[in-house]
This record gives sequence, structure tokens and C-alpha cells, in this order.
Amino acid sequence: MSRIGVFVCHCGTNIASVVDPDKLIAAARELPGVAYAADYKYMCSEPGQQMIKDSISEHGLDRIVIASCSPRMHETTFRKMLKNTGINPYMLEIANIREQCSWVHVDKDRASEKAVNLMRMAVSKISKNEPLYAQTIPITKKALVIGGGIAGIQAALDIADAGHEVVLLERESSVGGKMAMLDKTFPTLDCSACISTPKMVDVGAHPNITLMTSCEVESVSGYIGNFEVGIKQKARYVNHDICTGCGLCETKCPVKVESEFNLGLSTRPAIYKLFPQAVPSKPIIDKENCRLLKGGKCGICAKLCPLGCVNYEDEDRTITDNFGAIVIATGYQLVDWPSMYGEYGGGRYKDILSGLQFERTVNAAGPTEGHIVRPSDGKEPETVVIVKCVGSRDPNKGKSYCSRACCMYAAKHAHQILEKLPGTRVFIFYIDVRTPGKGYEEFYDQTRMDGAVYVRGRVSKIYEEEGQLVCRGEDSLLGEQVSVKADMVILETAMEPSPGIAELTSLLGAARDVNNWVQEAHPKLRPAETQVGGVFLAGTCQGPKDIPDTVAQASAAAAKVIGLLNKSEMETSPMISAVERDKCSGCGVCVGICPYKAVTLLEIDDRHGAKRIKREVANVNSGLCQGCGACTSACRTGALDLLGFRNKQILEEVDALCL
Amino acid sequence: MSEKQEKMRQCAEKLLRDGEAGYVIGWGETRFDDRTTPIFVEDPAGAGAFVWNEYAINSLAKYLLDDKYPDKKIGLFTRGCESRAINRLLKDNQIKRENVYLIGVPCDGKKSDRCTLCRERNPILYDVLLWTPEDDPPPAAGRFDRVKDIEAMSPDERYVYWGETYDSCIRCYACRNVCPACNCRECYADMSKTGFQGKQHSRSDNQIFGVTRAFHVGDRCIECGECERVCPMNLPIMGQTQKILKDINELTGEYECGMDATSENYLGRFDLDDKDEFM
Amino acid sequence: MPVEKSFEPAIVAFCCNWCTYTGADLAGLNRMKYPENVHVIRVPCSGRVNPQFILRAFQKGCDGVMVCGCHPGDCHYSTGNYFTRRRFMIMKRLLEYNGIDPERFHARWISGSEAAKFRDTAAEVSEHVKKLGPNVKYREEFRITESAEAGT
Repeated sequence: MSRIGVFVCHCGTNIASVVDPDKLIAAARELPGVAYAADYKYMCSEPGQQMIKDSISEHGLDRIVIASCSPRMHETTFRKMLKNTGINPYMLEIANIREQCSWVHVDKDRASEKAVNLMRMAVSKISKNEPLYAQTIPITKKALVIGGGIAGIQAALDIADAGHEVVLLERESSVGGKMAMLDKTFPTLDCSACISTPKMVDVGAHPNITLMTSCEVESVSGYIGNFEVGIKQKARYVNHDICTGCGLCETKCPVKVESEFNLGLSTRPAIYKLFPQAVPSKPIIDKENCRLLKGGKCGICAKLCPLGCVNYEDEDRTITDNFGAIVIATGYQLVDWPSMYGEYGGGRYKDILSGLQFERTVNAAGPTEGHIVRPSDGKEPETVVIVKCVGSRDPNKGKSYCSRACCMYAAKHAHQILEKLPGTRVFIFYIDVRTPGKGYEEFYDQTRMDGAVYVRGRVSKIYEEEGQLVCRGEDSLLGEQVSVKADMVILETAMEPSPGIAELTSLLGAARDVNNWVQEAHPKLRPAETQVGGVFLAGTCQGPKDIPDTVAQASAAAAKVIGLLNKSEMETSPMISAVERDKCSGCGVCVGICPYKAVTLLEIDDRHGAKRIKREVANVNSGLCQGCGACTSACRTGALDLLGFRNKQILEEVDALCL
Repeated sequence: MSEKQEKMRQCAEKLLRDGEAGYVIGWGETRFDDRTTPIFVEDPAGAGAFVWNEYAINSLAKYLLDDKYPDKKIGLFTRGCESRAINRLLKDNQIKRENVYLIGVPCDGKKSDRCTLCRERNPILYDVLLWTPEDDPPPAAGRFDRVKDIEAMSPDERYVYWGETYDSCIRCYACRNVCPACNCRECYADMSKTGFQGKQHSRSDNQIFGVTRAFHVGDRCIECGECERVCPMNLPIMGQTQKILKDINELTGEYECGMDATSENYLGRFDLDDKDEFM
Repeated sequence: MPVEKSFEPAIVAFCCNWCTYTGADLAGLNRMKYPENVHVIRVPCSGRVNPQFILRAFQKGCDGVMVCGCHPGDCHYSTGNYFTRRRFMIMKRLLEYNGIDPERFHARWISGSEAAKFRDTAAEVSEHVKKLGPNVKYREEFRITESAEAGT
């Protein structure tokens, strides 16, 4: 027989003014298994806790019910207290007679009666409690950062500076991401390359950072502290161990294809560095376009290379490594506006640029060496129209969300045009101007002072007429249709998650929101974590943001990772699902229901009559299971049960209410 | 009829003689002309015991669960209903496809009420097909007719209808034993300490058994009708599982179980835009 | 069925720890008032609520049952309540099909901030159930006799 102690808290007068503690004590003493019952003014106080401790030793209590405030308030307090007495901390139940009784009821008799019910339910439940023990899991002191944009770079540097090993994984042949493509950054107008390239060099040279470019995540297994990740190293066809990055090979390659980095505004050879400041500063061969790899005759680059780095036989390889924590920093891409906006020509007109294409145009290292000229005829534009919210805040054609950074870079683009080509007329079509950020509003104001004309309204149509682009739209402040003949149009398009985010998040078990952005564990309080333990997020993979926010979030994610990796092992909650293998028939319904991939089917040796057989049963990974219990409700036999909230415990509560 | 029966016997005999199968499950004669019984034949010489007539009523697939780890393949005569049951067992990870040899026998409809519900006479999966497929029966207009009748009643009338039904239930669990979706190692109803199912022979406990069983199998029911066929009290218990199927059909469109061995069950998955009444 | 004036229903509300239980606590913090007959059972997630708990509650004498969790999309465990939604869409219909009055079983999404919604739901369910009177359907028989005696 269990020896239950019931302790009733007055909470000053918070409870006792409505609920009669004497009634609870009297009722408790009648309940089977209750060995002792007492009340006190403040159970959570030092003397209150001491009283419980004393009663435990005096009366030989082995489980405790406390009728007090919400368990969300003091469950941890009392668990800690129990730990010090030697009773298992999970031999505790709390009857919430404050938030859910004395504070919400007026009638003293009825409230007391309800409090008795709640206390009785807790006593019944605790009669079925069992000691639970936290498991400790070891932690691999190494982090994987997926994505080598500014978010990934920052996170990797912070983690590495704290003394932990980091693998920084990048799909392209160089780190740098979108920030490396930008010209200047708002609102300070410092050169993007000048502030990002040193960081790129740092990650390349940091002793704790292993840079893995041209790599993708292929498989993920394991759980917090113990991930095993299969990484696909795509064939580079150039031996980076000996290549010095001299660039000779690039000069004579006969192939010319559209440069991805310059967004089609220039060409590049088939053996190429992504951009001149690439880190690692070594070329790869684009196998889709290389003459030799396509089966043709060539091999010029191999002949030119003084060190014999070129290896046309190179193949994709899979590397497996273990990590304690993973940071998703996969960034964004711009929406494919031509497929969404037929009324803007659907990509027919050469002089309509996306914001990022304009960044390349205005960039001194870009295809025009920073001269703002029309791609069609190379002439400087006299009139430029900037259209904001292309694909964003447009639930009908694009995304319903605000892409957040566009208002500011639209202002920056206007500023740059007016600065480089004084006298140019710049019109900005907008829905709203949103400038929340340090120095942002001032920057926007300055742009207007500089002469940019803000027109409130959407552009409804763009068409070509006599070599110019006619932008028609409504000026909603004037209430009139307007049309502007422009030489160049810049569309400030919405961000959307990078391609492959769905595959990556499903490998990791992380959730995505309705717009496919990676879902943070809590929108306010856990913005740098996913709901999967040990998987963190940084930057625009979580939602549109600008560089300062991205960097801040990356450092936040890094801080979380460092906090985790500083421990050599961690305790997991023991309130998780458990399988009774005898009952489990291995039907696997639980496997599909678990949001954490914590339940898998495991082949075990068993007997069937006299025969030795192998059969499959559900198996719960204690590192992955978060204790939601969704699997247990789907299990028809009840082979899966949730420790701390077992079926029989909940049923006891139900029964006790109805007594 | 006898020509088909001969084919079945020959096929079984060859399977057993070649050692392809350890034994073959089919239908055999009884003392009564209007009954057959499931038989298990190991000896090639015994293959002549298999019969094929309008009384070959029992669905045979559930017997596979009695021998989940066979040394040799089990031969099984497979009609539409057996094949859907096998898909059920495969999806539920209860049998391995390589452990069974399915002898496809397109069915012409048997003398049983359960066959009036049939919409799939030809086996969906088989290793050999003994004769040409039959025409499927006319679409069972009114698949859910009786569910609709019960739905039309008032809550109290429905309670009385099911209450009286379950008053007659003797809790023999024959419905469970024959059901291919009831493939747990140990049924919750047989457990004594879970608290989920009282053992009393009372309306309350009987009804709770009925509703729970329906909920356990509802989204996986292949509508073979075996539960009702074997019920010694002739209770209309398929009205429960069919209610769930009808609701699923209304909530997410066409839903039918056992048509393949991979589709996830309705309650084992979700859609973000599932209908929501709980706002 | 004659309804006594003094009839106080027993109502059990299975509430998920992260949303509805928090919402109920907030109702307390804000000193909102609702009927005493609603008793909360804390579960980690509405996905933990096995439909068999509901049957058991009716059998043992609960007059009304609520299942409450986070709004779809807000589940602390990311997808638990989507399964809850499917399970109880089916279960609610099945219960009604078996004669349980629709007003006796409710599923609701109540977030941690919706204290007022918790209060209103508790009051609403309580009122409906009170009107319906004691539940006899699915109830253990000796209890029915007991309550019938109490009624006379």
C-alpha cells in the first residue's frame, strides 16, 4: 500500500479565503492510501517545504500530493525538494486549487467541494505513479551549420570561437551566400563585400572550422547531442588539396554559360570560381556544361593546369560525420516573378531587373563594373521605376507576407541611382513604406530628399513602347491612373525559402510554416530553435529578414549551440513514451504519427511457440521523444504508454471525479 | 463449377508436390450440403478435398495470422475479399508477402449476406490467377444505406437501437477473431488491468466494447462483412464501422481500405486543411 | 427525464498542458468566473487524449466531456492536434451515432491567451449539460439505479 502525503496550501488567503482547507484535510484523511494530511499558509516557502520534508521522514511517506497553485507554477520547485528528500521527484502530483478553483469560483461550499474533487483526482492518480529516472545522453562536441551565407558564417564563427569544432556546409562552390552578391548595405551604405569577405576568409582559415563546399545533406539520423549526418560531396573535378587557385584554367575554357552569380547578366566558363573573392578560392567544373564531361573533345583545362589538379574522373562521395547540434541557415531565394506576373511581361523585357540583378549591376565587381546601364542597349537610364511588393503582400498571385527588407533596399537602390546618375528620375511604386530599424526611417527620408518620387499604388501593367517600358498603375493617394515611361524597371521581389528546404526539414524532422519557412519552436521565446531538440535556425530560412537581424539570430543560435556543446552530457525528460514489447504487434501506426521520428520499428529476437523468430516492435528513442503522447492514443493495444501520464493514471483521475 | 474446382485442386496439388507451399488453405466439404469449412491441406494427395461452390463463404486470410512465421510459403485461395484482407495484413505489418502464395480465384458471389456488400470479386493481388476475372457486381448502391437509416433517428432512438443491440451481445469476440483489421497481439478487451474495458455483461460495457472496436478498426475496415456473418447473435455490428467509413468518405472523399498495401490509414495521417469543427 | 433543480453536472475537461491548461490558469489569474462543475485533467497534448478516456468518463458518470488543445498550427509538439482533430471528428460523430447527445461532448481549440474563451466554453458546456440532466447513456448500471434512487 502506498503511503501518500497530502499537503494543502492556503496561499495566504488566495486559496483559503474561498476553499476551506479543513474540508480538504478531512476528506484527504478518508482516502485510501493517504497516510498523512496537513495544511500550511505557504507550501512553497522554506518552512512549508521543510514541513513536507519532515512529514516524509516522520510518517514514511512515499508519494506526495500538493493542493496548491498551478503545477505550471511550482511543479519544478517541489520536484527539486523531493529530490533532496530521497523520494523520486516524479512521485508528485499537484491539485490546482488556486488558478482553477479558488480564483475562478465564488461560492465557498461549491469551491471547497470542487477542491476536494481535484485533490481526490490527484490522490487517485498518484496511487499509480511510479518512480521515473532521467537518462543522460552523451553529447558530441561538434556542430554542423547548413548554409554558408552570412547567417551560417556568423553562427560558425561564433561557435568556433567558443572552442567547438564546426563543419560549415555549403551547396555552392563558395561560401558567401546572397550577401556576397549585394553592393552596398542599408542604411549605412558600407560595401557589402568589404564587410562580408573578411568573414568569409575567417571561416576558411579558422582552425575549428571545416569548410565543406559543393556539399549537401543526404541523410540525418540520431537526436540531440548525437546526430549522424550523411553529407554528399558533389564531384568538383578539381583537386582542391593541390590547387592554388591561380585561375589559369578559367582563361582558356571554350564554354560560355550564364553566370549564376551575376544572375544571367554575364557569362562564365565551365571551369569556374563562383566569383573572384570565392572562399575557397578554387574552381570547380560544371559537369552539365563541360564539353569533355558531356562526352565531347576538350581537356584544355587539364593541359593548362601546371599542377595537374583537374580530374575528369571525380565522382560524388558520401561522407558520414557525427554532430551534437545542427544549425539550419539555408537562407532564401527571390520568387520567380516572370512566372507569376505576366502583366509585367513575364520576363520578355530585358530592361526589367530584379532587385538582386540590380545589385549586381550597381556592384563595382559586377558585369558592368558598377555602371548603371540598360541590359538591352548599354545606355544609362534617364527614368527608372522601382516596384515594391512584387510577389509579397499579394495573396492572389504571390505571398501574403511582407518580405520585410524590400522597402529599405528599394530606398537604397533609388539612392544609388540618384548618386551615380544625378538627374535621373526615380519613381517608387509602393503599398506602404515600412522602415522599422535603426536609422532606417532617416535613410528613407533622405532618399526622398534626394529626389526619389514615391507613388502609392501597385503597378498593374508594364509594356514596351518605342524602346521604353510603360508602367501603368494607380496613384491611390490621387485616386488617378498614372503611367510612367521608364528606361529601366527594378522589381523588388519577395523572398521565399531556398529550394530543397522541404527535403532538408523532413530529413531533420523540423516543421515548416504555411509559407514553407522553417518553423521556430516558439515565435516569441524560442526564435532560434526548431521544435526538434538540437536543431537550431538562423537567418532567412525562418522568414524574411535583413542582414542585422540575420546576424543577430545567427549569434543567438550559436549561443544555444555553445550552451549545448559545453555540456558533456545532458539529462532527458523521463516523461516519454515507453513500449511494452509483449503487447506490441509492430503495426507501425505510431511511427507515422510521431512528429520527432522518435518511434521506429525495431527487429527483435523472440519466440513463437517453440520457434525462434524475429519480429518487429515499436521502439522509442529517448533522445528524440518529447513526451507528447500522440503515439499512445493511436496504439490500439496500449502497448505504447506515456510515462507520467499513463493510461491507468488518467483513468484513475476520471474515475475519481465520478466517485 | 466443377471445372474451376478441378483447376483449384490441380494447382494446390502442384504447389504441394513441388514444395512451393507448405500447405494450402481453402474450403472443404462438411456433412451438410450447404456448408463448407476452411481446410488446411499439407499432403499433395489431399488436394482433392478442396471444393468450390456457392457455399465457400468464409474469408480465409485471417488464418495467416495463426502462422505468422512459416517455414514454407502458405498457399491461399484468394478472392477479392481475401486479397483486401491480405493488403490489410501487409499494411499492418503482420505478414510478409513472400510468406504467402496467393492463388487467385475470381469469385462469382456466394450465398451469404456478406456477399451482397461485395464490390470487389476479383483478387487485387495474387501469384497466379486460375481463371478469367468475373464482372464486378453492380455498384452497391446504398453502401451506407443502413447507416443513413440510423442517422435519421433521434439521439434517444439511436441509443435504444444500439442499446438493445448490445443487450444481446454475449461478448464472445467472434467478430474480433474473424476481423482482418483486428490483428493486435493482445486485444485491449482481453486485458484486465488497463481499465479501458469492463468485463461485466452489461449494456454499458457491451456498448463500450462495440464503440471501441468500431473505433479501433473503423478507418481500416475492408468491409468484408465477416464480423456480422460470424456473430452468433446476428447483431448488425457492421453498422458501426460503416458509420466511420461513411464519415471519412464525407470528410475527405473516396475512401476504401485494402485496395493496396501502402496507403496510410485515415487516422494515421492528417491534412493541414482538414475540416475543423472545433474552433 | 425529470431534472432536479439541484442537479450539478460532473464535467471533465482534458486540456493540453501548453495551451488550454495555460489558458485556464490565465482565467484564474484574471479572476474570471465559471461554473464549479468543470474539472480539468492535465495532459501534455490533446493528442494524448485516447478516445477511450471519453467512453470511460461517460461510463463512470461524467455528464459532459471536453477535449481542448492548441489551435491547429500552434501545437507545442507541432502536429499532435492535427491527429486530435481527425480522431475526434470521427469519435464525436460515432458517439452521436450511438445516441450520446451532441451537447455532452465538445472538442475546442483554446490557446494559452484565450482565458475568456476557456471561461465561456466552460460556462456554455456546463449550461447545456445542466439542461440535458444527468447522463444515463453508457453509464454503469448500478450508478443509474443509484441516481434514480437519489432522484426519487
